Amino acid sequence: MYLSKRKLTPEAVKRAAVVATVLLVVLFTVIFVAFWSIQVVRHQTYWDLAIRNITRRIDLPAPRGLIVDRSGVVMAENKINFTLYLVRENVTDMEKTLRRASFFSGKSAAAVRETVARYEKFASFYRIPIQSNVPQGTVIFIQSRQDEFPEFEIDMEPSRTFPLAESAAHVLGYVSEIGEAELAALPPGSAYALGDRVGRSGIESQYEAFLRGVKGQQTVITNSVEKVQQVSGVADPVIGDTVVLTLDMKLQRYIEDLLGEEGGVVGVMDLASGGLLALVVKPSFDPEVFSSELSRDEWLAISNDPRKPLQNKFLQGIYSPGSVFKIVMALTGLQEGQLAPEATVFCSGSQVFYDRVFHCWNPGGHGTMNLYSALQNSCNIYFYNLGRRLDIDTIARTARLLGLGEASGIDLPSEKTGLVPDSAWKLRALGQRWFPGETISVAIGHGQLNVTPAQMLKLIATVALRGRMPQPHLLQRIEQRGRTVREFTPRFTRVPIAEENFERVIEGLFRVVNEGGTGRAARVDGLDICGKTGTSQIITKENPQYQRLTREKRFMPHSWFVSFAPRENPRLAVVVLVENGGDAGSIAAPLAGQVYRRYFRDEEGLR
Amino acid sequence: MKKDYVKFFDKGAFAMLLLLALAGILLVYSAGHSTHETHYLKQMAWLGVSLLAFLAVFSLKSEFVFRNALAAYLVLLAVLALQIVMGVTVARTRSWFRLGGIGLQFSEFVKVPLAVCLAKVLAQAESLDARAFLRTLALIFVPVALIVLQPDMGVSFILCGFVPLVLLLKKVRPALLVALALLLAGGAFVSWHGLLRPYQKERIVSFLDPVRYKDSSGYHIIQSRIAIGSGGLAGKGYLQGSQSRYQFLPARHTDFIISVIGEEFGFLGVSLLFFLFFVLFYRHLRFNFQNDEEFYFVYLFNGLILFQFLVNVSMAIGLFPVLGITLPFVSYGGSSLLSLFIGEAVIFRIKINEYLT
Repeated sequence: MYLSKRKLTPEAVKRAAVVATVLLVVLFTVIFVAFWSIQVVRHQTYWDLAIRNITRRIDLPAPRGLIVDRSGVVMAENKINFTLYLVRENVTDMEKTLRRASFFSGKSAAAVRETVARYEKFASFYRIPIQSNVPQGTVIFIQSRQDEFPEFEIDMEPSRTFPLAESAAHVLGYVSEIGEAELAALPPGSAYALGDRVGRSGIESQYEAFLRGVKGQQTVITNSVEKVQQVSGVADPVIGDTVVLTLDMKLQRYIEDLLGEEGGVVGVMDLASGGLLALVVKPSFDPEVFSSELSRDEWLAISNDPRKPLQNKFLQGIYSPGSVFKIVMALTGLQEGQLAPEATVFCSGSQVFYDRVFHCWNPGGHGTMNLYSALQNSCNIYFYNLGRRLDIDTIARTARLLGLGEASGIDLPSEKTGLVPDSAWKLRALGQRWFPGETISVAIGHGQLNVTPAQMLKLIATVALRGRMPQPHLLQRIEQRGRTVREFTPRFTRVPIAEENFERVIEGLFRVVNEGGTGRAARVDGLDICGKTGTSQIITKENPQYQRLTREKRFMPHSWFVSFAPRENPRLAVVVLVENGGDAGSIAAPLAGQVYRRYFRDEEGLR
Repeated sequence: MKKDYVKFFDKGAFAMLLLLALAGILLVYSAGHSTHETHYLKQMAWLGVSLLAFLAVFSLKSEFVFRNALAAYLVLLAVLALQIVMGVTVARTRSWFRLGGIGLQFSEFVKVPLAVCLAKVLAQAESLDARAFLRTLALIFVPVALIVLQPDMGVSFILCGFVPLVLLLKKVRPALLVALALLLAGGAFVSWHGLLRPYQKERIVSFLDPVRYKDSSGYHIIQSRIAIGSGGLAGKGYLQGSQSRYQFLPARHTDFIISVIGEEFGFLGVSLLFFLFFVLFYRHLRFNFQNDEEFYFVYLFNGLILFQFLVNVSMAIGLFPVLGITLPFVSYGGSSLLSLFIGEAVIFRIKINEYLT
């Protein structure tokens, strides 16, 4: 035999076999038990995990609800937008891909690289949006060569479009993509995801919850790299509700044309409901540019425009009310018993109060004035004298009763409150007591007094309704598949000022327009329009350069005209503010007159 | 005599071998099905080669095999050393050697000659004295060191399995055991701080807490357990395993092939596979050997397959670190299959030697 002799005893060999057999049985038993515990005992747990591995729920975007005017004119709707996506996991040569993406999107390669870098933390299969509004030609080019460009995907999604372009843009607001920081700030379980578009301002933001609709969901089976293998279930998205506004787009567009290139605000209220028939803010912008991704330059051009086209000046523009405030002064004096309407004051063009000379706007003086003629001619001297008799805190209290110093409550976001100064405010804000001389300035609507056009419209509407203060609003109703789910019910609150006092002020306001007063240019034959002009100085008349500077447009004062018609059973209230418009009587008042002419002519035509 | 070959050949054990290899091809096909891979075709070719090699080695006299084992062992060491100097790099290791378009993993072939050499050392000594013990350790750790440098942690770890097998088969003085323990501790320390790459260390650590590493190395263990557990009692059906089909399961055709069985054929399929292994081992336990070398070889080689089997299966259910160890006979890998069939051929020959004389 080869090599060694046999030394192991048969017993030892037998023992080895027995030990080995026992060892085998023990080891196999352990393995069996281990597999039994995983496969049979804990089967359900692992089964669920396996299912969770492969099923994904994909959100299907819901089309946004429409926004229409009172007669159904579509103001905001949806169109199909082709979006180009880049999927990093399918990229073979990133440089080449960036060049292609740049070619397809028209953006620079650096800009595309920046976009891709923002999604660095996302899984490589995530679809990075590169460009929306891809032209149809590019879509066809890429889709027909999908095997050449596996890293690109094109998807259709509804995109917000505004068929009336700049018209009523401030009312509508705009829609743009939700940011990462915003998403992080949302509570968990919110309906939003990265890439969703959300209402940013105006009605789009105010009624976001109704407009956004309900996302659909697709359940799909995916593999370990999230490639969809099959679709296992679909829940269709539900379109958002239709928001019907009180606006009358025919009137709105008419006023937009009237205002032309002037900057300013025109608000028209239906006094029966408080609903706005028109809300024109100029300059305007095209909200659709925000629907797709905005380039940095585009954004800077809009946000740095000195004319602030994005600002809704109706509720965010802060101005001194000028002579419009004389309405509040008159009501305060009457209500406090400090003013007899027929009592006269002599206006010589200027008067000294507290060792300082105060001027009337008419240097020649108005002569003898009572309340009606003082309102009619907007005589400063008359109201200076009223201001001297009244306490600033009393004036402020009445002003607040009439809605100044607080938001008008219109259904639009980010409204400013303006400022009604009083002694407590001054002590708090400036650490000084109130000087009686300041009350003289406030009496003609200057000083620290600040208002928004929305407040002025609410004020004149309250006067028109003899103390019934309307709630201004833009929403008429919300419809879900043709069914009204929410409707605005007009709300009026009673201001604690006697009706007769309003009648007296209205007499003055009637004369402003119809008896050769400062607002005579607003006169429309056969219509009793009542109104009040106002001039909001940019620089004070005390400025030695006043005459020279006010020849420049940007230093010209803003012109106000607040009005309503008819005098009895009033139906319409209008606020006009023309920025740097100069003399209110010659620009703001005639504009209001044309609004009435147009409105009542149309109404007449309906009859 | 030809008739005796057929008559006394252990047809039962051979059937187990064939069934395991065929099951392997079936599973390798399933593992690569979704990604259109053709590993199963290569594996079929390798099975053919292995069967031919089996016949060739089976026809050799055991005496011849045992006489030339040392030479084969030394030639393999030389090849491994050469590979380290000029090997090609495949998947971070140099263990694959390309030979006319076919990848050969020489480290796998060390198993058979090393088992023979160890058997000879064990047969010569009544009990292991210091010198004989050092010889066995040298026989084991020289190739282990070379394979570590490849680096191929899986195969080198499996070859270390010879150490406990030697200790089970021969008495060793306690002092030597203590020395060995110190040596292993030292080796472990050096490996951890000097040899192991971060990804290899992470694999070992992640086994202790797979959920913490679920996005990196713990992922393998978690997905493998999900595959096996979701298979349940009867499995999801051939080619129907979602873990495998949708590529959640890593290394499906190699290290985690048992998870494919577990998912698609369930506990019943796994049990059947275990039964095949059990029968194969059991049938090799009892035979009439002509000398001690044969006894030691059969026990060492079977013990090594059992060790590899246990490590692979434990790894798939998270009871052992993921070290890149395949399931013998079943996993994809031509060199491994060929090497195992050569070793089995030696065993089958030993088992009929008594009837041939």
